[in-house]
Amino acid sequence: MEAVKEVSHSSQVSMEKKSSRMSEFWIKWKKQKTAFWAGFFILFLLFIAIFGPLIAPYDPYEPDYDAILQTPSSKHWAGTDEYGRDILSRIIVGTGISLSVSFTSVLVGAVIGTILGLCSGYYGGWMDRLIMRSSDVMFAFPDLLLAIAIVAILGPGLANVVVAVAVFSIPSFARLIRGNTLAAKEAVFVEAARSMGAKSSRIIFRHIFPETVSSMIVFFSLRIGTSILAASSLSFLGLGAKPESPDWGAMLSMGRDYLATSPHVVMIPGLAIFLSVLAFNLVGDGLRDILDPKTKN
Amino acid sequence: MKKVSYLRAASVFLFSVALLFGCSSGNSGTGGTTGGTSAPQAANPGETPAKQKEQLVVAVNENFITMDPQNTGDALSSGVQTSMFEGLLIYDKDLKLIPGLSTEYSVNEDATEYTFKLRQNVKFHDGTPFNAQAVKINFDRMSNQENNLRAYRNYKYIKSTDVVDEYTVKVTLNQPFSAMINKFTTGIISPQALEKYGKDIAKNPVGTGPYKFVEWVQGDHLTVELNQDHWDKGAAKVQKIIYKPVPENGSRVAMLKTGEADVIYPLPEQQVETLNGADGVKVERTPSTITRYVSINMLKKPFDDPRVRQAINYAVDKDAFIKVVKAGYGAKLESVMSPTIAHYAKQGVYEYNIEKAKELLKEAGYENGFTTDIWGNTNSDTMKGMQFIQQQLQKVGITVEVKSMEEATLSDEIYGIKSPEEAKMNMWYVSWSSADPDNAMRSLFSSENFPPAGANTAFYKNDLVDKSIKEATQSSDQTKQKELYGVVQEHVFKEAPWIFLAVDEILYGKRSNVEGVYITPSGGIYVREAEFK
Repeated sequence: MEAVKEVSHSSQVSMEKKSSRMSEFWIKWKKQKTAFWAGFFILFLLFIAIFGPLIAPYDPYEPDYDAILQTPSSKHWAGTDEYGRDILSRIIVGTGISLSVSFTSVLVGAVIGTILGLCSGYYGGWMDRLIMRSSDVMFAFPDLLLAIAIVAILGPGLANVVVAVAVFSIPSFARLIRGNTLAAKEAVFVEAARSMGAKSSRIIFRHIFPETVSSMIVFFSLRIGTSILAASSLSFLGLGAKPESPDWGAMLSMGRDYLATSPHVVMIPGLAIFLSVLAFNLVGDGLRDILDPKTKN
Repeated sequence: MKKVSYLRAASVFLFSVALLFGCSSGNSGTGGTTGGTSAPQAANPGETPAKQKEQLVVAVNENFITMDPQNTGDALSSGVQTSMFEGLLIYDKDLKLIPGLSTEYSVNEDATEYTFKLRQNVKFHDGTPFNAQAVKINFDRMSNQENNLRAYRNYKYIKSTDVVDEYTVKVTLNQPFSAMINKFTTGIISPQALEKYGKDIAKNPVGTGPYKFVEWVQGDHLTVELNQDHWDKGAAKVQKIIYKPVPENGSRVAMLKTGEADVIYPLPEQQVETLNGADGVKVERTPSTITRYVSINMLKKPFDDPRVRQAINYAVDKDAFIKVVKAGYGAKLESVMSPTIAHYAKQGVYEYNIEKAKELLKEAGYENGFTTDIWGNTNSDTMKGMQFIQQQLQKVGITVEVKSMEEATLSDEIYGIKSPEEAKMNMWYVSWSSADPDNAMRSLFSSENFPPAGANTAFYKNDLVDKSIKEATQSSDQTKQKELYGVVQEHVFKEAPWIFLAVDEILYGKRSNVEGVYITPSGGIYVREAEFK
C-alpha cells in the first residue's frame, strides 16, 4: 500500500513538474513577440499544407490558354502564369509539397544525426574520430553543392531531394548532439546511473538524450528554413520537383523568363519561400532564447 | 535580440535572392556538373566593348558541339563555323548560293560531273595554300565511310574527285544527285591541319574564312579574330568576335541591354515587346526554315499505330501552341518543312479536335489512354513546349512525363544507339533547320537514315517515300522533283511520324551600332560583313 502511494505520488510530481515547465515555457514564449507571430504563421502554413487541395480556388494543373499571364485581379488573386494556371492555387497546393519535403528531410537528418552524435559523444575513441572526421569531410562541401552532387548521382526527383537534404543535415546534427552529450556525460546523474549499473543504451537514451532535446528543437526549426531554401533551389535547377508541379522552386524556375514582362509570376512564389523561411528562422531564434541554457538570464 | 532577428531576416532574404536568382544567370540544365554557372558573367572586367568597339560579342542559347564543319549536326555549331570556314560555294544571308572558294563551276547534263574553277591566291589560316589538292583531300575525307563523318550522308554520292590542274577540280558522282550543289557549301579544312590534329581537328579549326580561330573554352566562349589575309579583305571590319553560350534567356537579354553582348540569338519571344525600341537595341525578325515538331518513335508501341499518332496530332492545339510557347511569333506547320524551302507542298493542319482524337484512340484500343514520356533539352523554351504537349495530351488521357536532358547527353541517347530497336526515345521535342528539300526530307524520312546513321529519329519507313526521295535526288528536272517531293510530303503528313507544330520566326537582337551581322533563315550566324558604325 505504501509503495503504491509512493508511485502515484511521484508520478503526480512529475506531471506537475511537466505542466509547470510547459506554462513556464508558454509565459516566456509569449514574450518573444516576433517569434510568437512567426509561430502563428507556421501554424497557418501547416493548415494550408494539410487542407490546401480543398481550399484552392482552382485546379493548380488546369491550363487556360485564354487567360495567360494575367496580373492579380478579383478573379485570380495572385494572377495567372504562362499557361493561364491560377498562381494562388498553385502556391496553396505547393505549400504541402515544400513543407513535407523539408520536414521529412530534416527529420531524417535529425534522427540519424542524433544517433550518431550520441554514440560519438558517449563512446568516444575511434567511433568518435570516425564519425567526426566523416562529418568534417561533409562540412568541407557547401551544403547545396553536396546536395546537387547527391541528386546528380541518384537522379532528379523530389524523393531524391529529400535524401540529399537529409544527408547534408546529418553532420550538423551529429556535431551539435555530440557536444551536448560530452557535457551531459560528465553530469552527476549520469555518473549515478552508471554506478548503479545501468546499461550504456539506457544511459544514452534515458539520461543523456533528454538533455539534448532542447538544443535539437532549436536547431531543427532553424534547419527547416534552410531546407525549404535548398529544396526550392534544387527544384529551380530542375533537379527536384517535376517542372509542371506547383513546387515553389519549380514555379520560380519556369517563371523566370517572364521576370521582365510579368514579374508577379516569380514574385509570388519567391515571396512564399521568403516568408516561410523567415518564419522558421524567427521561431528558431525565439526558441533558442528560451531553451538555450547559455542565454538564460 | 530583436536586432539579431532583423539581421537574420535580412540575411535570409539576401541569401534566398542570391541563391535563387543568382543561379538564373547560369546553366539551368540538369547536368549540374556542366560548370556553366559562372559562364555568362565571365566577361573580363577589363573589356570595355562600348569604348573600343573592336570586338563583337555574340550570345547564343546553347553550347557549341564541334568545330569540324564536316561532322556537324547542330545549326549553332555550323553558325559559328561560317566565320572560319568556307566551302566552294557559300550561302549568303538570305540562303542564296554565292561563289566561295570557287569562282565558277560547270555541270554536265545529267548532273553527275561538276567542274570547279578555284579561287587563286587563297591561303588557309595556317599558311597552307588552297588548291585543287586541298579540295581533293577534303572531299576524299568526307566520302570515305570509314571516317564516319556526318557529311558522308551527302558526300557518299561522290565517286571520285580529280585534280585537273592546280586550280581546277572535277567531281564525279556515282549517280545523279540533284541537291549536291547545296552540299558544296561544306567548309574546307586545311590539309596540313587535318594531318597535324587528326581527331582533335574538331577543337582546332583551321579554314580560309574571314575570321581565324583563337581559343575555345568549353561552355564559356569561343573567340575568333579577323583574318588579315582573307581574299575578300575589307568586307568584315570587326577585329574580334566572341561567341558565348548563354542558355538563360533573361541573362542574354540583360547582356544585350547593358551592351555586354552586341548580338543575341535567339531573342526570347516574350521580350520582343519590351525590347523593341529600348535604348540602343534593335529587334530583328526573319522568316525561317526552322520547323518545330515532336518526333514520335514509330517502332514503339503504341506509336506503331498510325491512328494513335494522328490522334496525338488532333489533340494538340497549334494556335494555342504558338500563342503560349512562341508568344505569337511563328506559323502553323502545314507540311513537313517550311514554306520558304523549294518544292514545298502545303498539306493543311490536323485541326484541334479532342473528340476525334479520343475516337481514334478508342479505335486503336487505347480508350483509356496510356503513359509515355517526352524528351528535350534544358532550354527554357523547350521546357515550356514539352509541358504544353503534356497538358494537351492529358486531355485525351495520355499521361506524359517531361524529361529534359543536357544537349550532349540527349544527342548521345538518340544518336548513340547501335540499332533502331535499342532506341529508348518515345517522343522528342525538337526542331530541324534546312536550306534545301533534300536535307528537309531525305535526312528525316528516308529509311536509310535511321539513327545512328542519320536523323530519321521517328524511324519512319515507307517504300513509296523511299523511292520518291531516291528518284528526286537523281532527277535534275525541277517539275519532276516538285511532283516527287509532293508525294513525300503528302504521305509523311498523313502517316504523322511527328506532332506537326510550327515554323519558327527567327528573332534576334543587336545593338544599334552593329551592322552586317545577320541570322540566316536556317539559324546560321552570318558575320562576313560585320562592322560597328
